[in-house]
Amino acid sequence: MVRHEILIAGRGGQGILLAGYILGLALVKSTDYYVVHSEAYSAETRGGDSRSEIVITTSEEEADYMKVSKASIAVFMYKEQLLKYKSKVSKDALVLADSTYITEDMLEKTWKKLLVPFSRIAEEQVGSIRVANMVMLGVFSAVTGLVSLDGLKAAVKESVKPGWIDINLKALDVGYNTGLKLKA
Amino acid sequence: MSREADIGFLNSNHAAAEGALTAGVNFYAGYPITPASDLFEYLARKMPKQGGVIIQTEDEIAAINAIIGASWAGAKAMTATSGPGFSLMAESIGFAAMVEAPIVIIDDMRTGPSTGVATATGQGDVMQARWLSHGHYGIVALAPFSAQEAYDLTIKAFNIAERLRVPVVLLMDYVLVHTREKVRLKKPPEVEVWSRKKPRVPPEEYLPFKPDEDLVPPMATYGEGYRVFVESLVHDYRGYYVTRDDVYEELVKRLSDKITVNKHIVLDHVEYYTDDAEILFVAFGSTARSVLSIVRHARARGLKYGLFRPISIWPMDTDALLKAAENARKIIVVEMNYGQLFLEVDRVIKDKPVYLAPILTLDLPTPENILEVCRKWL
Amino acid sequence: MAVAKRPIIHPVDKYLRTERLPHVWCPGCGIGITLHAFMRAVKELEDEGRIDSSKILFVSGIGCTGRAAGYVNFDGAHTPHGRAIPYAMGAKLARPDLIPVVFSGDGDLVGIGGNHFIHAARRNMDVLVILVNNMIYALTGGQVAPTTPKGTYTTTTPFGNPDRPINAVKIAAAAGANYIARWAVTHPELLKNSIKKALPMEGFRLIEVVSICPEIFGRHIGFRAPIELYRRLQKVVKIRGKISPFEATYDWEKEIILGEFQVRNEPGYTRVLMEAFKHG
Repeated sequence: MVRHEILIAGRGGQGILLAGYILGLALVKSTDYYVVHSEAYSAETRGGDSRSEIVITTSEEEADYMKVSKASIAVFMYKEQLLKYKSKVSKDALVLADSTYITEDMLEKTWKKLLVPFSRIAEEQVGSIRVANMVMLGVFSAVTGLVSLDGLKAAVKESVKPGWIDINLKALDVGYNTGLKLKA
Repeated sequence: MSREADIGFLNSNHAAAEGALTAGVNFYAGYPITPASDLFEYLARKMPKQGGVIIQTEDEIAAINAIIGASWAGAKAMTATSGPGFSLMAESIGFAAMVEAPIVIIDDMRTGPSTGVATATGQGDVMQARWLSHGHYGIVALAPFSAQEAYDLTIKAFNIAERLRVPVVLLMDYVLVHTREKVRLKKPPEVEVWSRKKPRVPPEEYLPFKPDEDLVPPMATYGEGYRVFVESLVHDYRGYYVTRDDVYEELVKRLSDKITVNKHIVLDHVEYYTDDAEILFVAFGSTARSVLSIVRHARARGLKYGLFRPISIWPMDTDALLKAAENARKIIVVEMNYGQLFLEVDRVIKDKPVYLAPILTLDLPTPENILEVCRKWL
Repeated sequence: MAVAKRPIIHPVDKYLRTERLPHVWCPGCGIGITLHAFMRAVKELEDEGRIDSSKILFVSGIGCTGRAAGYVNFDGAHTPHGRAIPYAMGAKLARPDLIPVVFSGDGDLVGIGGNHFIHAARRNMDVLVILVNNMIYALTGGQVAPTTPKGTYTTTTPFGNPDRPINAVKIAAAAGANYIARWAVTHPELLKNSIKKALPMEGFRLIEVVSICPEIFGRHIGFRAPIELYRRLQKVVKIRGKISPFEATYDWEKEIILGEFQVRNEPGYTRVLMEAFKHG
């Protein structure tokens, strides 16, 4: 029985909800995993809390509790949400953090840590800080192997507005290559 | 078949909307309310493309009456709402039952009473679904616990409504309708889609409320020459108002009995580890997912816990419940209200203690939240 | 085999479920005059080949007038109080070949069902609304209605009605109805002609019929015989040609203006909706 609990948190405007949706959609469409995806956000669209929770199991029957109780994989895109939600992360979790805003000393020592400047990479290498979420997903794909780059790309094409598809795909590529290097 | 074509990543509102489309919904009337609006919005984009009619009415009272009218005009008709809107529909739920109009009502339960918390979950509409309208009538309520079931049970809701000519309620909750899951969409013949019985006699011989052996009368459609009169007053086989004891008694009994005698197409439940369960939980909807997690973790530790999950809440499969409870020492009903399904379980199980575990949190309870409430009985 | 319960003895009997007669209405009641005018209009239209009565959907709500749906031999419904309009709307939109007629009372249509009335007019919903205004809640025994004249004694306003009465014509006009007329049971021929004109039209059509309730309204305010109330009504109604619906006064003490106040041919809601969906 497999149960991965993934938590993605950041502040409003960082594309946390879209990242969760794209990851969920890619998992549903390109893998055999069963996927449960919920979101939580504060009323303000920008600046408030934003959280995606994804539970992955091998079958529908195994997907009992619908939310994350202790994340086995966590992604923090901003420091305030890291501090707020770190208690929801298991001791031996794999944690991806955006080092544009987060420093290593903020992270628990027991975690398997991966600090990557998602936002800076998005701005400098892709051309818009708004696709930091896709840079993150590219890295996520490379380092976890849970979902393929192609699966993520198909999900982007299915759900992102036409004018934004290319830049999101580029961000996935850049993130994926960054992830491969980190893994190596 | 390609994997992608029939796989959706949908919340339970969207899954139910897809289920309605599979079942052939072609009339929807609704009024915006959290958290049911995105079901409406989803169908508003899709139904017109498939020849359906979908409108926003001035209130929920108009919506329910419009779908009853549409149903008599031959449509497969539905609406979706949440507690406050459901309350407004009260009178005409009874109207639908009385004139035997097949309709489907989706109730996305949120926190109550009154306006409650519009953006928080609850399961406080269990009794409302059963007894919303005045007088005595039969009604069916189904409760999914996943997006897949929201899809499957919406199809089933339409099928039951059409076959038995009753209003059918789908009881969902805020958590379900805001959680996306993998859903496999189906097409006939993999899934059965039923339609109502039509008259088998010419108009001059047709009696609109004369039942067949299954207690369900064939249903004429407006505009086809049957000149059928749909009467909200107590009525005889012709649909004429009469104030005779025998007519009243037969009608009121039949409105309930037609569900009982056809219960094989309604009753539905799932059991988990009940064979040797010493502690039997009873739970439904998203809450049951948290309870299932408790049961599985307990089993891993050798504790004999089980879960009985009713899918048809009204009527519930009480025979199956009794059987599942045979070996249990205690029964614990977990629900997000202060004791509603509990009343039904407690009524049925007479020979052992039935405890109520009310969960009055605003979000989906964690297994730990539930265990805290239940610990004194474990 | 179609065997009528009794021989056809009246030209409009075929539109009646004659086996249900006698009806519940009191002697002198104006509902029968109104219903007769409606059936005559249908008969003329059907005889002229302009309408197929098997497509008529005759819907009533609750009240004395609400009982009409049970007597006529059309497709129909007797809905909960105030809900005839949304019920008819649902049926019409689900099956556009239907010809919906809502035949109900003032309490039903502009009291408890007032919001549906406004919004159906706003949408220009395809329905002919025949509003039989008897100025009282009659079936329940004489309580104040939204149309009751100010100051009038009723069983729930024993010291006089403090409310101003509603003017349904003005409301329908403000909301945007296609056709608006007000007649009275004192002028059944004009009423019939108006129904005949409005029934084949599309959009929202209101025909208010100022009626009399001798038993529950008239007797309570001192009119001992139906004919007295009828004459009182005759005195107060005035027919005016070509005036705006906003000038159509409804005042039991001064004047109640009758006439045809609005005739437009804007597309009905069914057609508008189907057009919109075509481009979806």
